[in-house]
Amino acid sequence: MKPPAKMSKPTSLFVIFFSLFVMSEAVFEDQVGKFDWRQQYVGKTLFAHFDSHSQSSKKLFLATDKNIFASFNSRTGELFWRHVDKAGPEGTIDILLLHGQDALMVVGGGRLLRSWDTNMGGLNWEAVLDTGSFQAACFVAMQDTVKHVAVLKKAAISLHYLTNGHQKWVENLPDSDTVQYQAVYSGGEEEVYVLGVVPNSHLTIIAYSLEDGEIIKQRSVEAPWLSSVESSCVVVGHGVLMCVDTATLALYALPIQSLDLEVSPGFQPVLVSSQPHPARSPISEFFLQLGPDHHVLLQLNADGYTIAPLRDFQPAFLVSFSTTGEKTVAAVMTPKNETVKKKKNVASCMWSYSSDVFPPQLYVHAFLKKDDSVGYRVLVQTQDHALTFIQQPGRVVWTREEALADVVTMEMVDLPLTGTQAELEGEFGKKADGLFPMVLKRLSSQVILLQAWLAHLWKLFYEARKPHGQVKNEVTIETLSRDEFNLQKMMVMVTASGKLFGIDSKSGSILWKHYLENVQPNAVFKLIVQRTTAHFPHPPQCTLLIKDKDTGLASLHVFNPIFGRKSHIAPPALPRPILQSLLLPVIDQDYAKVLLLVDDQYKVTAFPSTKNVLQQLQEMASSIFFYLIRSDQGNLSGFRLRKDLSTERIWEVVLPTEVQKIVAVNGKRPNEHVHSQGRVMGDRSVLYKYLNPNLLAVVTESTDAHPERAFVGVFLVDGVTGRIIHEAVQRKARGPVHFVHSENWVVYEYWNTKSRRNEFSVLELFEGTELYNSTVFSSLDRPHLPQVLQQTYIFPSPITTMEATLTEKGITSRHLLVGLPSGAILSLPKMFLDPRRPEVVTEHSREENLIPYAPEMPIRTEWFINYNQTVARVKGIYTAPSGLESTCLVVAYGLDIYQTRVYPSKQFDVLKDDYDYVLISSVLFALFFATMISKRLAQVKLLNRAWR
Amino acid sequence: MATPGGQGGGALSTRGGARRMKWALELTLGNARGRGDRQSNQGDVMYPIGYSDKPVPDTSIQESDKNLVEKRCWDVALGPLKQIPMNLFIMYMSGNTISIFPIMMVCMMAWRPIQALMSMSATFKLLENSNQQWLQGLVYSVGNLLGSALAIYKCQSMGLLPTHSSDWLAFIEPPVRMEIMGGGMVL
Repeated sequence: MKPPAKMSKPTSLFVIFFSLFVMSEAVFEDQVGKFDWRQQYVGKTLFAHFDSHSQSSKKLFLATDKNIFASFNSRTGELFWRHVDKAGPEGTIDILLLHGQDALMVVGGGRLLRSWDTNMGGLNWEAVLDTGSFQAACFVAMQDTVKHVAVLKKAAISLHYLTNGHQKWVENLPDSDTVQYQAVYSGGEEEVYVLGVVPNSHLTIIAYSLEDGEIIKQRSVEAPWLSSVESSCVVVGHGVLMCVDTATLALYALPIQSLDLEVSPGFQPVLVSSQPHPARSPISEFFLQLGPDHHVLLQLNADGYTIAPLRDFQPAFLVSFSTTGEKTVAAVMTPKNETVKKKKNVASCMWSYSSDVFPPQLYVHAFLKKDDSVGYRVLVQTQDHALTFIQQPGRVVWTREEALADVVTMEMVDLPLTGTQAELEGEFGKKADGLFPMVLKRLSSQVILLQAWLAHLWKLFYEARKPHGQVKNEVTIETLSRDEFNLQKMMVMVTASGKLFGIDSKSGSILWKHYLENVQPNAVFKLIVQRTTAHFPHPPQCTLLIKDKDTGLASLHVFNPIFGRKSHIAPPALPRPILQSLLLPVIDQDYAKVLLLVDDQYKVTAFPSTKNVLQQLQEMASSIFFYLIRSDQGNLSGFRLRKDLSTERIWEVVLPTEVQKIVAVNGKRPNEHVHSQGRVMGDRSVLYKYLNPNLLAVVTESTDAHPERAFVGVFLVDGVTGRIIHEAVQRKARGPVHFVHSENWVVYEYWNTKSRRNEFSVLELFEGTELYNSTVFSSLDRPHLPQVLQQTYIFPSPITTMEATLTEKGITSRHLLVGLPSGAILSLPKMFLDPRRPEVVTEHSREENLIPYAPEMPIRTEWFINYNQTVARVKGIYTAPSGLESTCLVVAYGLDIYQTRVYPSKQFDVLKDDYDYVLISSVLFALFFATMISKRLAQVKLLNRAWR
Repeated sequence: MATPGGQGGGALSTRGGARRMKWALELTLGNARGRGDRQSNQGDVMYPIGYSDKPVPDTSIQESDKNLVEKRCWDVALGPLKQIPMNLFIMYMSGNTISIFPIMMVCMMAWRPIQALMSMSATFKLLENSNQQWLQGLVYSVGNLLGSALAIYKCQSMGLLPTHSSDWLAFIEPPVRMEIMGGGMVL
C-alpha cells in the first residue's frame, strides 16, 4: 500500500525513500502486549458462589447483569474463564445454582437450562425449557444425593436430571391463573413442595412426588396478610415455613405464632435463611430484617413452634450465611466502621475494612482450616460495582472495578511535564523583572535540571546493582510525566454507575477513581476537557455534565483529570433543566475554555463566567451559533447568541416523525486537523475538498419497518444556516446505522433489507477545481453547493461501532476502526472507501493510486489490530493523536477495555523496532577509522614519492 | 609551436677549461671522450645539438592553418549543440518514470550545460585566437542553454517541476472559520 493518498511527485521521492523503512502492518509475535493491553470485566454481580467442592479450591463463580457467567481466581482476582451470552433479555441469567462440580443456570427468563462444568468452564448440557416465565429453581436430593433440579415456571413445574438435563416429568400447576407460584423447596425427602400465594387471601402448598410428579398433598392456608412469598417467607428448620407479616410484623410459622418486634415505618421486612445442602433441611437460625440497618438473628426451637431471638444487630446493613462441614457462620456487616462481623452461632469475631461506598451485597465463604477452626473469606460488592475480596484479618486481597464493564464516555488527557520541565516552562511564563534576576532564575533552573539528571543517574546505577526481576516500573501519580512522543496519556473514563476512573494508557493501571454518589442509573454524561495540561501552572480541568433523565436537571462535576481531585472551582448553579452544552474556543484569563450551557428556555449560562469571559462573549456573540435536535419531534433548530446571553432561533428544519425519526447526529471532531486542502488528480490538477467545519451529518431511519418500504436517510446540514447541503436516501435499508463524519466525508453502514447484507456507503464532498475563498470559511457566504460523490460497498460482517483514526497534523492517511460483533477491531483503510474508485482503470486513476471499484469489501485478518485479544461487546472506540504524526492511540471499550496504537501509514517517523544499531554504528566507526588510516597512509606515500 | 634549432646552446661545454679546473661536468653524452675517436662509427654525435637530418617543416603561418584554428574553435563552439540529438535519444530511451537512472541522467543533462556556462571564461580563452570569437562564444552558450532547456523539459515531462496547482497544495493554509458552532441532540 502507498502512504498518503496521492501526492505531488517531489513528495513521492520521499515516499520511495521512506518505504525503505516500512514495517509490516501486522503485529509480530514479539510485539504482542508491548504497546497494547486488555482488561476483561464481567459487570455487576447478581449471583456469587464459592467453590467449596475441594478444600484448596481457588475458584469463585459469578453470574452478572451483563449475562456473563465467570470464574475467578479467589487469590488474585484474575479471570479463569468467562462465558459471554447474548446481551439483552434473551441472555439474562435468572438463577445460578452450584452443586459440587456442576453449576446450573436458567437463562433468558426460563428459556434454557444449562449445566456447566466448573473445573474447565465447559458446557455439560443445555436443555430447552417449556415456555413460561421463570419463578424459582432448586436442587432436589434423594437419599443424600442430589440427582435432580426442579424448575418452577408460572404455570408448570418440571424436574430434570442433573447428569444430562433430560426432563423427568413436567406437571401443570393447578389454578395457575389465580395462584402466583413463587417458590419451590425440597428438604431431602421424597417430595418437592411448591408454594403459591393468592395475594391477601391464602397460601397454597403443593407437594409433588419425586418419582412421577403426582400431587401427594395439597394444602391451603389462610393468609390475608401475605402478598408475596419471595422475600417474606423462608423455610427454616425441619420444613417449617416462616413468614413475616409486613403490616403487623407478626412472624408466622406454620402454624402461626407472633413475636414482639418493631419495624421501621415504610419498610418491607425481609427474612434470610440458609439451606447448606439440598439433601438436608435448612438450619433453624434465620435473620429477620426490620429496617434498612436493623437485623435480628432468630432461632426456631426444636419443637418447631417457638422462636427465640438470639441477637439483635443494629445497625447492620447486610447479613449472610455460610456453612462448612457442620459449622455455619453468619456474617453481619455493620456500618459504623464498615465492620464485617463474623458470628458463628454464639462465638463471634470481628474485623474491619474501610470503604466509602455503601455495599449492597455480601457473600461469605467459610472453610475449615487445617486445625479444624473455621476461616472466613468475604466477597463484598459495593454500590459502585467494585468487588472486594477480604480475608480474615480484614485484609483486602483484591479489588475488581467492575464498573469499567460499562464505560459511557471517555477522554484522553496529556500528562503533565515533569517538575523540572515545568520549571523551565514556568520561567518563560513569568514576567520579566530585570536582567540580573532573569540570569539568576535561569541558573537556578539549570541547577535543578542538573540535580534531576544526577538523581536519575544515581537511580540507574542503584537499580543496576539489584537483581533484574526486582526492578519494577510502577506507575504512580507522583511519577507520571509526559514521555518524549506523548504516547502515554491519562484515560479519563466515565462509567454508567457514576464512577470516574483515571487510567494510565501505557500500563492500564487505575491511577485514581472517584465515585459520584446520587447519580441516577439512567443519567446522561458529557465529558468536556476545559483546560489541558499545556497551561502550567494552572492545573488541567475536566468538567462532567451529569443530567438526570427524569427531572432534566443537570449538575457539573469539575475535576483535575490527572489526579482525580475535585476542583475548588465552584460550578454554577443550574436551576433549570439543561438541554445541551457547547464548548467554545474562547479562553478566560486562566486559559480555561468557556462552556456554555443551554437551558430549556434557551437561555445560556457560561462557565467560567468571569467578567473577562462575559466581555469576550459579548464581543463574539454574533458569531456564536448552536443547534438543537429534538428526536421526538423530528425537529432541528439553530440558534444565535445575543449579547445579553439570550438566544434567537434563526432556522428550523422539521422531519415529520410519522415518516422518519432522527437517530443520530454528528459534527466534526474539534481537534481534527486536515493537512491537505484538496486531492491531487491524475492530471495533477487539484480537486479541493469541501471542508465545512459547521457541517452536520444527521441520520434518520424510517418508522415503517417493512423491508420494502424501510429506508435510511443521511442529511448533511450546515449547522449555522440550516441549509441542507445534501441528502442521501438509501431505500430498502434498515438501521442500526453506524457512521463516521470527518474531513470532507461521511461513511455509514446499514442493513440492506432487499439483498440482506450489510453495506458501507461513503459520501465525499468537493468544492471543485477552484477554491471559493481560501483564507476564511464562513457558512453565511457560500453560494455554491459542493459536488457530492457517493459509492457503496458490500461488507461481509455486521458491525457494532465505528471510528476514524486521528493524528496530530492529519498528514497520515486515515483508517476506519470498525468494531465487529466477534470482538475483533478492524483497521480498514479509508482508501477502500473512496467514491472516486473507478470502474474502468485509466491512466489517470492509476496515477492517483485509486483501487479499481469492487463491490465486495475485503476483511483481511492482518487488519485486525487486536489479533486474538477480542474485545467483547465493543460499544465505542476512542481515538486520540499522539506526539508522533504516524501514531494514533486507540481505546476500544465495551465489556472489556483494549488499548493499542495504530500506524495507518506505517511508522514513517520512527526507526524500526529491530533496527540494528550495533551493526550500523560499527560500520560507521569502521569506515571512520578506515578513512583515518588510509589518509595517513596516503600522506606517507605522497611524502615518499616526493623524496624519490 | 616547434622551433627546430632554437636550442643550439643547450649543451654546455666546459671542455675548454678542463685542464685549469679541478673537475668538469660534461653534460653532453659522448663528448667526454675524444671527438675524433668515434666520429667515424657514431654519426649522430657529429651533428650539433638540435640538428636534424630530416627536412624541417615549414612553420610559417599559412592560410590553411588559420582555417584549422577556425575549425577547431568552431568544433569547441558547436560541441554542446552536437550533443543535443544524443541527449534527445537518451531522453527518449530513459522514459518518464521516476527511478534512479532517469534521475541520474536528468541530473547529468542539467548539470553539464550549467557547468559549461560557469566555466565560460576558460572556453573564451580557447577561442582567443579565432577572429569569430564572439560568434563562437554565442553559439557555445546558446548550445548550452539549449541543453539545459532540454533538461528542464525532461524534468517537466517527468513531473519534477512545480508547475501545477497540486504542487503548491501543501502550502495552502486551512481557512479560518468565522463562526463558532456546537450543540447536538437534546440530552
